[in-house]
Amino acid sequence: MPLLLRTHFKLAKTSIKENRTRSFLTCLGIAIGVASIILILSLMGSVTNLIKSEVDNIGSDLIVVRPSSSKDSITNIVDELTSSNTFEQSSLSLSDVKAIAAMEDTSAVAPIATSTNTVESEKNTFPSVPILGTTVDYINVEPFPLRFGTFFTEQNKSNNIVLGHTLSLALFNTVNSTVGKTVTIMGEKFMVVGVLDEINSSINFDNVDLNNALIMDIESLDHILGSTQIQQINIKAANTDSLAAISDNIKSTLKDNKSGDENFSVMYGEDITHPSSSLFTIVSGMLALVAAISLIVGGIGVMNIMLVSVAERTHEIGIRKAVGASARNILMQFLFEALILSILGGIFGLLLGYLLAFLLSIITPFAPYISLEIVATTILTTLAIGVLFGIYPALKAASRNPIEALKHYR
Amino acid sequence: MVSKNTIIELKSLTKRYGYGDTESFALKDFDLTIKRGEFIMIMGPSGCGKTTLLNIIGLLDRASSGEYILNGEDVAGISSRRQARLRAKKIGFIFQDFNLIEDLPIIENVALPLVYTGYSKTSRLKNASSTLKRFHLDEREYYFPYQLSGGQQQRVAIARAIVGNPEIILADEPTGNLDSRSSHIVMEELKSIHQEGNTIIMVTHNPSLTTYATRVINMLDGQIDTDVKTVADHNLPQPISVKIEKRKVTPEVILGDIEPIENDNHKKHRRNK
Repeated sequence: MPLLLRTHFKLAKTSIKENRTRSFLTCLGIAIGVASIILILSLMGSVTNLIKSEVDNIGSDLIVVRPSSSKDSITNIVDELTSSNTFEQSSLSLSDVKAIAAMEDTSAVAPIATSTNTVESEKNTFPSVPILGTTVDYINVEPFPLRFGTFFTEQNKSNNIVLGHTLSLALFNTVNSTVGKTVTIMGEKFMVVGVLDEINSSINFDNVDLNNALIMDIESLDHILGSTQIQQINIKAANTDSLAAISDNIKSTLKDNKSGDENFSVMYGEDITHPSSSLFTIVSGMLALVAAISLIVGGIGVMNIMLVSVAERTHEIGIRKAVGASARNILMQFLFEALILSILGGIFGLLLGYLLAFLLSIITPFAPYISLEIVATTILTTLAIGVLFGIYPALKAASRNPIEALKHYR
Repeated sequence: MVSKNTIIELKSLTKRYGYGDTESFALKDFDLTIKRGEFIMIMGPSGCGKTTLLNIIGLLDRASSGEYILNGEDVAGISSRRQARLRAKKIGFIFQDFNLIEDLPIIENVALPLVYTGYSKTSRLKNASSTLKRFHLDEREYYFPYQLSGGQQQRVAIARAIVGNPEIILADEPTGNLDSRSSHIVMEELKSIHQEGNTIIMVTHNPSLTTYATRVINMLDGQIDTDVKTVADHNLPQPISVKIEKRKVTPEVILGDIEPIENDNHKKHRRNK
């Protein structure tokens, strides 16, 4: 039996054309669902790309240690967000940093501890300035260019600091003559020895906005705050050949140092590029869920309009069956129409989604991220939606009794 | 004994509706043998089972019990898919209310049975075009049904019924919705189709039309009341083997330019049923 694909296509085209408004509205339902999925995928892709490019800049010899077990399962993330362990002691300590630094495999080790505090300069006072506590090695692990001055050194680290570009402007209204000036934090005076160059990526795997940050030695930070939380340790490996072996060594060293507890994770390569913020994962997951729901609502729209179409064309179904159409012919005819509606909606949504992603990229640093995978997934998803929601009306049409259908008037 | 000329054989065909108290019979132990080339008129009061008989012969409906042998093949219990295939290839339907698809131009209406028998698009349109020519509608191929008069629409429906060169043509009161002049034209067309050797079974209420028939059956309460043959079996017209072109044949004639349909009288001239 011939499939009659071309005939079905033509019939579907005619039917969609004749009911232009309602076909358009049905497509719009699918399109909105598809567009929101595209938008989310594009956003997630561009965030991953941003972090990836940063990691690529730093080099392939980077290993990162983060506290607690790996955050790859949703329950861990939810646990972390809902429990009060934001205030818990981080499982990483300065002694861990020293233990790693003592290893032969590592060439530079920099802990990252963040805090916010009020920073005063001779001119301005700013509350909640992000303060990054680290070691002298930080600049060796992540070689950020300095606009002026130098990074603090082993000798002067106790009272010297480095400012981010934007923070320097905010505190002193300048970046040129900031070096040598003094800021006050919690009553302690610190001298600015360097200003970072402006950094374009607002998201990085340190989870710190360096343009706005004040960088100081971790021990000084510990001193003024009383305690610090190490949220991550960045490690530069001595050689790039065996990151896996080195990270295993780090793991066992840390385990020894912590008398057997494995409440941390060691990552390298691609793993680091996963967005480190669990909030980001949760939010994008929720958005994807909402988008999926809107796609299902769009699918119900297709089903609804196909049921209307089948009811309207009952007489036609009767005629077609009388002249020799089999149930399968009728099924294919209506399924095809549903498929074309949903694919049209999919293409429309693809364009709409990228348009929105592009508009978003004007006001945010997230460049629209287009990949063949996303396009293919979208088309396949809309196909599946078309079949899923088109099969019931098509089956209904196919099972019409021809005699009854012929009596049915428009 | 089934002769070679027998096209349809019905044996104790019964169609029952309802069960128990509401049980009623549209056909009861109905026996009928139809020979190739017969033009049968079935008459009888409303509700005597004429249309049910026609639907069962046309494989649109199934009998509750009994045998139906079409061309020597028992088709009473076949799958609905095979029924559909036989409908497409062997049976042509003509209805009282024409039953054309309003959204399709008449050439595509005529070509409809060929869609389901696997003809290529070109040969479909070519066959439909030459069939329409026979009914002098070749200038209106791309008119829509509502742009034609009732008589013309019925001629389109007849063209659709014969385009696939079926074994039997079933007509359910084809003149019921027509005025006497159009009725006459339609009956003359059916007559000439019959003359070419086609088998026609027609249900009618109009006794004056029985002059066209070779056999008149009067039905009463699901059974044959009278059965009169006016033409001897050996005098029945026999089909000459006119085979329509099969699919994938290179078309000799390319259809001419398609004239645009005038859409302005779209609504005004909707068919006046």
